[in-house]
Amino acid sequence: MQATKPEHFNANVKKALSQPDLKRIIRRTTDKADSKRAQAIAEFPEFEQARIQGQKIKDHTIAHMAHYLETFEKNALAQGSIVHWASTGEEASQIVMDICRQYKAKKVTRSKSMLGEEIGLTHALDNSEIERIETDLAEHIIQLAGDPPSHIVWPAMHRSREDVIRLFRESHKQPTLSEEIVDLVDSARRDLRTKFLTADIGISGSNFLLADSGSTCTVTNEGNAELTTTPPKVHIVTAGIEKLVPSMAHAMPLLRLLTRSATGAEITQYITFHNGPKRTNDADGPEECHIVLVDNGRTKMLADDMKEMLRCIRCGACMNHCVVYKHIGGHAYGSVYPGPMGSVLTPHLNSLEVANKQTHACTLNGRCEEVCPVNIPLPKLLRSLRAQSWQKRYEPLTNRLFVKIFVQLATRPKLFQFVSTCSVLLMKALSRNSWIRFLPLASGWTKNRDLPAPSSQTFMQQYKQTKKSKEERQ
Amino acid sequence: MLSQETYMRNKKQIFEAINKASPTVNANAETREEEALALLDMSEYARPKLLAEDPTEAMCLRIQAGLVIGTSCERISKLTQLPDVAAKFLKEHHLPPKLKLQNIVELQSLDWQTLKTDIDVREDKSVGLCLAEYGIAETGSFVVHSSPEMPILLNFLPLYLIAVVPKSRVLHYLDDYALIANEIAKQNKTPRNMCIISGVSGTTDIEGVLVQGAHGPKLLHIIIVEDQ
Repeated sequence: MQATKPEHFNANVKKALSQPDLKRIIRRTTDKADSKRAQAIAEFPEFEQARIQGQKIKDHTIAHMAHYLETFEKNALAQGSIVHWASTGEEASQIVMDICRQYKAKKVTRSKSMLGEEIGLTHALDNSEIERIETDLAEHIIQLAGDPPSHIVWPAMHRSREDVIRLFRESHKQPTLSEEIVDLVDSARRDLRTKFLTADIGISGSNFLLADSGSTCTVTNEGNAELTTTPPKVHIVTAGIEKLVPSMAHAMPLLRLLTRSATGAEITQYITFHNGPKRTNDADGPEECHIVLVDNGRTKMLADDMKEMLRCIRCGACMNHCVVYKHIGGHAYGSVYPGPMGSVLTPHLNSLEVANKQTHACTLNGRCEEVCPVNIPLPKLLRSLRAQSWQKRYEPLTNRLFVKIFVQLATRPKLFQFVSTCSVLLMKALSRNSWIRFLPLASGWTKNRDLPAPSSQTFMQQYKQTKKSKEERQ
Repeated sequence: MLSQETYMRNKKQIFEAINKASPTVNANAETREEEALALLDMSEYARPKLLAEDPTEAMCLRIQAGLVIGTSCERISKLTQLPDVAAKFLKEHHLPPKLKLQNIVELQSLDWQTLKTDIDVREDKSVGLCLAEYGIAETGSFVVHSSPEMPILLNFLPLYLIAVVPKSRVLHYLDDYALIANEIAKQNKTPRNMCIISGVSGTTDIEGVLVQGAHGPKLLHIIIVEDQ
């Protein structure tokens, strides 16, 4: 499957809505995540307190970002890591590729990191002589399928068991003949095991950067991160600068929030803090550890008064609860980050000009903010992006014209009432059996559904009538 | 390779952007540290209640209630009972009498009788046995630190894993472990890896169905030793 682009959002949505099974496939995962999260929160009455704490920890770190970044680098260097700085995604990807080439790497294992996708690392590796091996099972599946991820926690949720059976049979050395999911997982286990042990370089992301120790942190259920970062000679970490927290003690409350919000689990099976290369005489571990710190739009978010978005711990709860995401799925957004958080992030990572339509793909029902473990006011941020998009004239001409006409009407009450009366009459004329199948200038609405016919009177007419009859009764 | 110049330029650029966007008005170190510490005080009201007051009891209850994926637990009074308990575990799961014992004197010095203790963990369906640094009641976890005696892969390659946790080292909360990690860091003894392991290697990536043993262990047995 070809990667979709954010600027083609409307076409992507049309395509997604025309796929008969897509909605069912999406809901299979999101509904389960939704109910498991609800259960986890119900069993954790301290959740409200926890998320205030989580929010405050992130806000404190963001307010002292320069200090904590500096401290992180100092401590990471002291642990023996090599620290790199990248202003853009391309630079970050270039730094990783340069390290791979420096070590003449032939095989590189990668443990799931959305930042890796964001900076285009998967693409850069595929366009090189280096073999890329995705070790997270979902990433393994979409790598075989040639798909971009469709969810930040379950990147392969759009693929069915039948797809996986076919993909594994085509590519695994000793594929299973069974169609049972447990045997499919076993087939991947066999196939990936030798690759883990023979890779030249392991690349991971980092869920947290601990300033006071210079540690990076991986969080997985599969244990693929440790298998990726331990056997090879070199470990490369790529991390966004917003992953900072002051210390491990500050990461713990965020872990409580992250796992419950993402999968409904009280904790993930594997949380590992990585502190540079192996120590003298250590039984295993890489000889060198590189940390690539990536800006790529994050300082821009700070400058654009979007700093609340830097709290995001990438749990995916907002997309699991989004009515729009549940209809169109992740690919339609044309970005590594779909759903509400993606609609705020993509304009900063890419540009608002190409990703302004996503900011409108929101009903402002507030569910995302309600479930966000660090209280990010996603609807507010989306509205502010809409305003920016308007000011920068990115909105289509028809929208702009419509709003301009509305302004004229809304400031002239008599004219407004006259036009409302006319439109009520027009809608009445167009309706059949109380339903309207076609409405001029509103084909976007009537294309997929009928509109109920309005009342035969405008609001003002009804209001006057009620008032009059009330007065008569008195 | 990106030159030193690019490194400095990028770093400078990022810091300039941060300082321009949010100049930290009260960059007073003392206030900042106080604020950071105060955030941790909130944990007391922002973490789940334990299933029992005693951390070992709470940890066992959590595991026995099936809240830790793929994990079982038992308590023994002395470390010398370990070989028998390990042999029983192998038998229960119809496994041959062999495993990979962590190369640490506390375990190696025990009498393992006929049990083979030095297999290659890369073998299919292998069993690993290790001595954990800590246990955590809140999450039913055990913690391992990389060292010359502790290969990290010992916890990730076997299909079955037995982790021995000394009772005196079972902590109440994740936060308690973070404090210990902080102490270790102060002594400049931070290991390369600190792994908090809470259950077995699992995935729900195919149609949301949970499968254990994705890459690492599919079963974990935690043995808590009372006199340690």
